[in-house]
Amino acid sequence: MGAQTILVVEDEFLIRFMLADSLREIGYQVLEAADGEEGFEILMSGQVIDLIITDVRMPGAIDGMELTRRSKSLAPARPVIVCSADLFKSQSHPADEFLAKPYTIEALAGLIARLIGDPWQKSSQNHGA
Amino acid sequence: MAEELPEPRCLIVADADVLIRNALAEYLRHCGYKVFEAATSDEVVIALEEGALGIDALLADAELPGRYNAFELRIWVRDHYPDVDVVLAGNIDSAAKAAGHLCDEGPHLQRPYDPESVAAHIKRLLAATRRQRL
Repeated sequence: MGAQTILVVEDEFLIRFMLADSLREIGYQVLEAADGEEGFEILMSGQVIDLIITDVRMPGAIDGMELTRRSKSLAPARPVIVCSADLFKSQSHPADEFLAKPYTIEALAGLIARLIGDPWQKSSQNHGA
Repeated sequence: MAEELPEPRCLIVADADVLIRNALAEYLRHCGYKVFEAATSDEVVIALEEGALGIDALLADAELPGRYNAFELRIWVRDHYPDVDVVLAGNIDSAAKAAGHLCDEGPHLQRPYDPESVAAHIKRLLAATRRQRL
C-alpha cells in the first residue's frame, strides 16, 4: 500500500512547490491545488486524500475555511491543517490544526505525523468518505 | 564506492485543469523527473524566472490561461530561455503521449507504465468529478 496522500492547497506557486516537494522528500504522496476550487475538484474526483493542508486566503469562490467546511462535510474525520499569516489560533475555525505563517517544515511535519502518522504507516482509520 | 546518482531533470507541467495536471506530473515523477505544476502561464514565468530551479522542458496545454496564451508563451520561452524545450498538447491523449515521449528521454530511460493508462486515469477522474457535481 502506498504512503498517505496529502492535498496541498496554496495559491503562491513557489510556496506550493517547496511545500509539496518537501513532503514528497519525507515520503508522503502529495497532490497540489492552486486554489480552493481546484482543491474541491480533487476532493470530488474520488481520490483518497488522508490529510489537507490549505492556505486561508486564496482567490476564487472557495477560500481555505470554505474548503475545510466542505471537506468536513464529505469526510468528517479527515484532518485539515490551515496555514495563515493573519489568523490567530484563538479564532474559531473548522480545521483540526492551525499553523501560523511563517512556519518551518519540521513543525509542519511534526503536526502531520501526529495526525496521520509517519510516511508508509498508513492508518487504517476510515475518514468517513 | 557507490555511484553518485545524476541530478533529476526538471520539467514544468502546465494545465489549468488540476486533475490533468496532477496525473501528468505524477507520471513524469515516476519517470524520474522533478516536476513543477503550473496552473497558468504566469506560474510558468515565475518558475522560469526563478533560475535556480533549472527547468529543462515545459509540457503545456494549448489552451493554458494567463498573461500569455500557450502560443505566446512558447515564443516568450524561446526568446528568454532557448534551452528549454516546449511541448504544447491539445487534448488529454496528446498530452499523455507527449509525457510518454518525455519519459523515453527521461532520467530513468524507461516508462514506469503506459502513457495511455495515464490518459485513461485522467478521463476516469474527470468523469467521477462530473458525476459528483450532478
